Amino acid sequence: MKIVVTVKQVPDTNAEKTFDPVTKRLNRSSIENVLNPFDEYAIEEALRIKEAQGADTTVTILTMAPASATDVVRKALGMGADNAVLLSDDAIPGSDTMATAYALAQALKHVGFDLILSGTQSTDAICSVVPAAIAEHLNIPCVTYVKKLTVENNAIDAQRETESGFVRVRAPLPALVSVTKAINEPRYPTLKGIMGAKKKEIQTPSIADIGADPARLGEAGSKTVVESFAPVGARQKGQVVSVSDAKEGAKQILDFLIAKKVV
Amino acid sequence: MKSVIVFVEHESGAIRRIGLEMCTRGADVARELGVPSAAVVLGAGASKAAEQLKGTPIDAIYVGEDNALDRHLNDPAVDAVEALLRELGPTLALFPLTNLGKDIAARIGVRFGAGVITDATDISVKDGSAWVQSPKFGGSVISTVGFKNSEYGVITCRANSFIARQEPGNGEIKQLASPAGKTYAVTVEEKVAQEAGKLGVEEAGIVVSGGRGLGGPEHFDIIEALADALGGAVGASRAAVDAGWIAHSHQVGQTGKTVSPQLYIAVGISGAIQHKVGMRSAGTIIAINKDPNAPIFEFSDLGVVGDLFQIVPELTTLVKERRANA
Ligand SMILES: Cc1cc2nc3c(=O)[nH]c(=O)nc-3n(C[C@H](O)[C@H](O)[C@H](O)COP(=O)(O)OP(=O)(O)OC[C@H]3O[C@@H](n4cnc5c(N)ncnc54)[C@H](O)[C@@H]3O)c2cc1C
Ligand SMILES: Nc1ncnc2c1ncn2[C@@H]1O[C@H](COP(=O)(O)O)[C@@H](O)[C@H]1O
Repeated sequence: MKIVVTVKQVPDTNAEKTFDPVTKRLNRSSIENVLNPFDEYAIEEALRIKEAQGADTTVTILTMAPASATDVVRKALGMGADNAVLLSDDAIPGSDTMATAYALAQALKHVGFDLILSGTQSTDAICSVVPAAIAEHLNIPCVTYVKKLTVENNAIDAQRETESGFVRVRAPLPALVSVTKAINEPRYPTLKGIMGAKKKEIQTPSIADIGADPARLGEAGSKTVVESFAPVGARQKGQVVSVSDAKEGAKQILDFLIAKKVV
Repeated sequence: MKSVIVFVEHESGAIRRIGLEMCTRGADVARELGVPSAAVVLGAGASKAAEQLKGTPIDAIYVGEDNALDRHLNDPAVDAVEALLRELGPTLALFPLTNLGKDIAARIGVRFGAGVITDATDISVKDGSAWVQSPKFGGSVISTVGFKNSEYGVITCRANSFIARQEPGNGEIKQLASPAGKTYAVTVEEKVAQEAGKLGVEEAGIVVSGGRGLGGPEHFDIIEALADALGGAVGASRAAVDAGWIAHSHQVGQTGKTVSPQLYIAVGISGAIQHKVGMRSAGTIIAINKDPNAPIFEFSDLGVVGDLFQIVPELTTLVKERRANA
């Protein structure tokens, strides 16, 4: 079985963000980038399925990012993935989420897959639309927000989180599944894994190689346009009170809630 | 755009509150664009939900109750929405930021080659087109994003961003035709409603969250009691979730939910950046922490330095008393 995990490089949450006033894009070069934390769960789940299924199952990492994103890819390979595809092309910068999903879907057709695993969201944009959009392009079953997954007899059995609980669903392979944090505890890359990752293959196909139409990519191929970015001012520090007894503390809060017309 | 349509989610006929918020803003946006507005409700209980929508300013309500909608995951709903949009012509379609809403939005976006703008906290109309405000990068910036052409456009909306207004529109209810002869691959085997009827953290106007300071799962009782007294939902820090004290669906922060309630009360939470990005856009933040140097105090409107085990039950009592006398 061939498992492909889609992973994204995202700016570190702690990093100060600046935007290019002309292109309105994030200055990605000046900040530290990390593997999207949500995608670690997808990688871990792929590795667990591989361990359960045996030797003829492979795990491929797929990312669309600047050519410099190899650190993020190496981390995934260090965890135990077999190989990676880094989609990087001059036609790509400026792609919005839907253009991104199109390019990833084309890459997936090129690479081949039985099961696609994704994170549920990226920490930088929190769009949560790329996985479902990929599945729609590929016209395959799509089961998102999965907290428990079983792969058996060419089908999946999954528990999908809902706002009020979960639903258990079944679908045939090939399929796309996005996983939540509740599904597993990701492993750390071992020293041996990190050393071994250096020898693993990273393919870098071009847009032409994957048969993607450049007119549907980049800023020109995106259907949304960013007009502006405005920094949000830091929240002001309010009043901090030290209280000797609990009654006084509770009373302070109640008075505040009354003033705010909450109660 | 020829119309604005709002996808309304419900549970066995009980509407998620965000649906009422979106119907109000959706109808307002439609008026500004000079086009009709409509809502669409799907699945078992949709007729009941539609009745509640008559109290919102929306012009028409489309109802689909085909059995396939409940037996299969998402696919029949995507088909139903697609068929309706094809009938209506170029549409601005609004979806709630729920697991179902996000999936359908993405797939409708692909089917119509439409732009998809996510996580709207405001929608305005300027020069005849819709512009969306959306927080990015953990809420550190607000982006203003628009659609390049005026054909189909898709927006996902964050709860507690628009104010719901009671104002009966035309409220005309129309039945959607059942899709003929379609088969779907993803089957729903079982539905488990663990917290039916409870407000989710993303939706609630008030969230009371507990962190590692609670010391153990049994102490979430006092958080729940305060949340109940205030009519809010229970949230948690990652430390509390990772310790197994409460389900991940309650987690607020970078690897949990992003919430914008009117009031957020952080109890025994230190205020790490990964927690902050999930709640910094709350209207008012109150923190209870025994450490006067806890970072949470740096961005709280009111901070109380003290022992949560004493303050929280006391506060719950005071709130209940006040409510009883009101
Ligand atoms: C990639 C990544 C993603 C993350 N995502 C998230 C996320 O989504 N959400 C999240 O919350 N965190 C997230 N974190 C973790 C985050 O960095 C913090 O570790 C976490 O928020 C700490 O939780 P806490 O505040 O409950 O615990 P602590 O930091 O241990 O704080 C507990 C607080 O309780 C106070 N306290 C203890 N006893 C009492 C008492 N009796 N009365 C009053 N106060 C008391 C203490 O003074 C302390 O300030 C993430 C971290 C990483 C690396
Ligand atoms: N540029 C990208 N390359 C590979 N995978 C991506 C990319 N962008 C998004 N994804 C995948 O889609 C998921 C959801 O991302 P998003 O829709 O951007 O919030 C991520 O967790 C990844 O698995």
